[in-house]
Amino acid sequence: MEKVNFRTQVLTGHLQNHRHATTAATIYPSPCVSYVPPEISEQPFSFDVSTMRKLMDGHNLGDRDWLFNLMVQSKLFNPRLRGGKVFVVPDYNHSMEQQREITMKRIEYLLDHGAFEGWLTGKGPEAEMKKFALLEVIEIFDHSLAIKIGVHFFLWGGAIQFFGTKRHHDKWLRATENYLIKGCFAMTELGHGSNVRGIETTATYEANTGEFVINTPCESAQKYWIGGAANHATHTVVFSQLNVDGNNQGVHAFITQIRDENGNICPNIRIADCGHKIGLNGVDNGRIWFDNVRIPRENLLNSVADVSTDGKYLSAIKDPDQRFAAFLAPLTSGRVTIAVSAVYSAKISLAIAIRYSLTRRAFSITANGPELLLLDYPSHQRRLLPLLAKTYAMSFASNYLKLLYIKRSPQLIKTIHVVSSAFKATLTWHNMRTLQECREACGGQGLKTENRIGQMKGEYDVQSTFEGDNNVLMQQVSKALLAEYVAAKKRNKPFKELGLEHMNRSCPVIPAQLASSTLRSTQFQNDIFCLRERDLLNRFAAEVSQYQAHGESKESAFVVSYQVAEDLGKAFSDQAILQSAIEAENNVKDASLKNILALLRSMYVLVTLEEDAAFLRYGYLSTDNAAAVRKEVAKLCSEIRPQALALVSSFGIPDAFLSPIAFDWVAANSWSTVQN
Amino acid sequence: MASSFGETDQVLVEEKSSTRIFTLNRPKQLNAASFTMVSRLLELFLACEEDPSVKLIILKGKGRAFCAGGDVAAVVRDITQGHWKLGANFFRREFILNYVMATFSKPQVSILNGIVMGGGAGVSIHGRFRVATENSLFAMPETALGLFPDVGASYFLSRLPGFFGEYVGLIGARLDGAEMLACGLATHFVLSEKLSLLEDALCKADSSDPAVISATISEFSLAPSLKEKSACHRLNIINKCFSRRTIEEIILALEREAADKEDEWISSTIQSLKKASPTSLKISLRSIREGRLQGVGKCLVREYRMVCNVMQGETSKDFFEGCRAILVDKDKNPKWEPSKLEQVTEDMVDRYFSKINDKDWEDLNLPRRLNIPPHAIAKL
Repeated sequence: MEKVNFRTQVLTGHLQNHRHATTAATIYPSPCVSYVPPEISEQPFSFDVSTMRKLMDGHNLGDRDWLFNLMVQSKLFNPRLRGGKVFVVPDYNHSMEQQREITMKRIEYLLDHGAFEGWLTGKGPEAEMKKFALLEVIEIFDHSLAIKIGVHFFLWGGAIQFFGTKRHHDKWLRATENYLIKGCFAMTELGHGSNVRGIETTATYEANTGEFVINTPCESAQKYWIGGAANHATHTVVFSQLNVDGNNQGVHAFITQIRDENGNICPNIRIADCGHKIGLNGVDNGRIWFDNVRIPRENLLNSVADVSTDGKYLSAIKDPDQRFAAFLAPLTSGRVTIAVSAVYSAKISLAIAIRYSLTRRAFSITANGPELLLLDYPSHQRRLLPLLAKTYAMSFASNYLKLLYIKRSPQLIKTIHVVSSAFKATLTWHNMRTLQECREACGGQGLKTENRIGQMKGEYDVQSTFEGDNNVLMQQVSKALLAEYVAAKKRNKPFKELGLEHMNRSCPVIPAQLASSTLRSTQFQNDIFCLRERDLLNRFAAEVSQYQAHGESKESAFVVSYQVAEDLGKAFSDQAILQSAIEAENNVKDASLKNILALLRSMYVLVTLEEDAAFLRYGYLSTDNAAAVRKEVAKLCSEIRPQALALVSSFGIPDAFLSPIAFDWVAANSWSTVQN
Repeated sequence: MASSFGETDQVLVEEKSSTRIFTLNRPKQLNAASFTMVSRLLELFLACEEDPSVKLIILKGKGRAFCAGGDVAAVVRDITQGHWKLGANFFRREFILNYVMATFSKPQVSILNGIVMGGGAGVSIHGRFRVATENSLFAMPETALGLFPDVGASYFLSRLPGFFGEYVGLIGARLDGAEMLACGLATHFVLSEKLSLLEDALCKADSSDPAVISATISEFSLAPSLKEKSACHRLNIINKCFSRRTIEEIILALEREAADKEDEWISSTIQSLKKASPTSLKISLRSIREGRLQGVGKCLVREYRMVCNVMQGETSKDFFEGCRAILVDKDKNPKWEPSKLEQVTEDMVDRYFSKINDKDWEDLNLPRRLNIPPHAIAKL
């Protein structure tokens, strides 16, 4: 009965309020549900969020803020006033053509304001870190914009930088930086994606003319998904099988012009649109056919191999496998930026969903009592806070990956390849999962594109596929680990790469009874992750060699051992992420920061233990211990809960780049905003 | 501090039906905001918020100024005779007043009939309505004083169109009433001869509804035309140059423009930048850039940290030198230290944004403001 009275009161409130609305221009939200900013309702922060932001963003904070400023101050970035605040987010209700056009206009604006200065002509780690930072900021605004820029600078520009030599650098780098030309990157074909070595486009050298002839021999050889090709690109790097003197020398890269300065498609080039996609419609993906296109000999990007005028194939790297690996090395930068941007995407969605859960209430659990904040439900905490902890750990992991890439050297190529593959797959999968959970956690509001999260699912889905399919990449990780294992065992030498050094020590022992303090200790957390990796690597090696003993080839042994391979890939990735989180924590001096980072690290490990069936499957955890882990996760949820707002505030994402439901969603939806 | 008049005389109070009219009353000092005046205003505003019979606040100044700024000379005197923390007390109170105004639940109409500088902008621009007149003269002159645009200026300047806020804040540009209206610092322009009628009409309107108040002011307002040489005609060049990442790049961009064509406006803009304190310029730019991405509360907390670092004087003593040269000795020839932009490193700039290393010092503790109405959050 009391409940009925309460409902009546609320309804009366609604009606009375409505009556007032006819006389006054503004509805004052009481006595209905009112919005209280979480900054007011939550406890004061227990740590300094700007210090935490510095730790998370890591570098070039002033440059980041400058670029945020540039975007916020321009009408091109679609500023909208909602609930008393300005938000910038692309209008996804635009048609594909409109999205492509505005994306190009945004690039021109950024170019005019010097945002790309030094992106290709700058030298040294500082220039590179600045470029990364600015790209991350661009991604926070819109994935299409970042990808369109990324293709031009990192793929086309990167190919010139890394595959090309001085003649290419002099001719193309500055022109690219100033957008005098627009580049794209034609690698993937309809018939071949991750398996680049199987592509079918050909480049045949003609000694009498000194030209290469680029040809698309069949439909499956058409270049596909080429970002920038459908509308804007004037030049492309085309990957083709090089034929010299009747011999196939494998995949090489060539510069080919595809449009003239007026945007007309060049002779012997055919281009078609890939059409409307589930996201990323601001990027004009196209398909390209080459009909015996002639290009000068100098257009071969010849850092790894060259063809002399008289038609001799010259390469310092004799082994075709190694030659191919040298070719693909620049693709690592793509995987680095993808891994990093996946973390920022997860940060955006968590900041929105957690801020909303600190202001939105649902159901009261006492008669006549106020309704409960979403984030005060332990179940809601369990949905969002472990993802928050993982995002923190992965944020440190992505910083580590960036630094690893920056200090790249021939000795580090293997490590960079393995770590970037593992992180690209793991972090992008984590992002997709986080987006889905956050979308659901925002209920119906999550469905509105202005609230970003739902739309981002479509925008970011591609990350699990481009620059290497996630599953393929994870298989490569396991293969690389096995190769390391075999090499160490064969030569009877200790492990000293890929973080496998722990294999040299004795096997860690997990206590039979796991107390809370043990579960939260770095020692235990390290031990159980190492134990899993070690055991899975042993198992994988045993399984593969068993198949080989039965006469299977190495390749087919890999193919059938996919289950252990998958578990091993995850084990490696989780372990590497944990190491970077521990390192970040160790480098922090401030006690309040250290405390919260320790909580998050424990949450990251324990929720991994809870979720990955491998720990029970292979017996690293007893069922009793698994129960203890589960209990601890719930406890950690309640301990992280009071810090949730500070933790998402530390992400450094300006309010304008979040969404209306992250702030005053009552005002943003008020009748007065409908009238205006 | 104690005078034969009551301290409360620095703010005159009139009650007209549901309207409260507060008049800043230190005409000889151009209504410079003293600690007493700021404290009194804070008290009055908080009381009005509690009092359901009050619907509207009108704030104006006596004499030819609305308010020429915080009483910086007094602050410097306190600091040199005592300790910088005495100065901190003033700024803390002033910033809290700015915050209360920015989040005030009832409309505030400020009549800007005269000089509006520094702290004067702080007690008016955060309010809902700002009425400029033909006598208005606005400026944030802090960079010439070795300070930086405070009182929440990193919030409101950064929300001006394009990069006009950087221009106004770094140069200390002087704007007249028409320019204030054009860039959004003022919401209305009314000729001074109509002000008393406007006041009566507002009292008679007897309303808290922003739409009603806006309509009432509009009845008296007109659209003034910008003077020919106005900076508002220079938005393109301002956006192009003042959007640059650093002060050095801003100057470089301006010099490049100047090289293209002889232009008095550009050269005087460059001159203003070269005369200002290099440290002030750098911390001001960063403050505006951070402010553009933050709410008004965060802006004030940051500015309080900055102002405490300025007063503590560990990185640079330009504030004291600026006050000496402009306010005390009036030789208008400050000797800045560091004297060159390139001597002001990132590290030095960073220090102004960090907490004071002193166990008794605390960040600005903003009062809790319940149910901030949406229109109170962002007015520009």
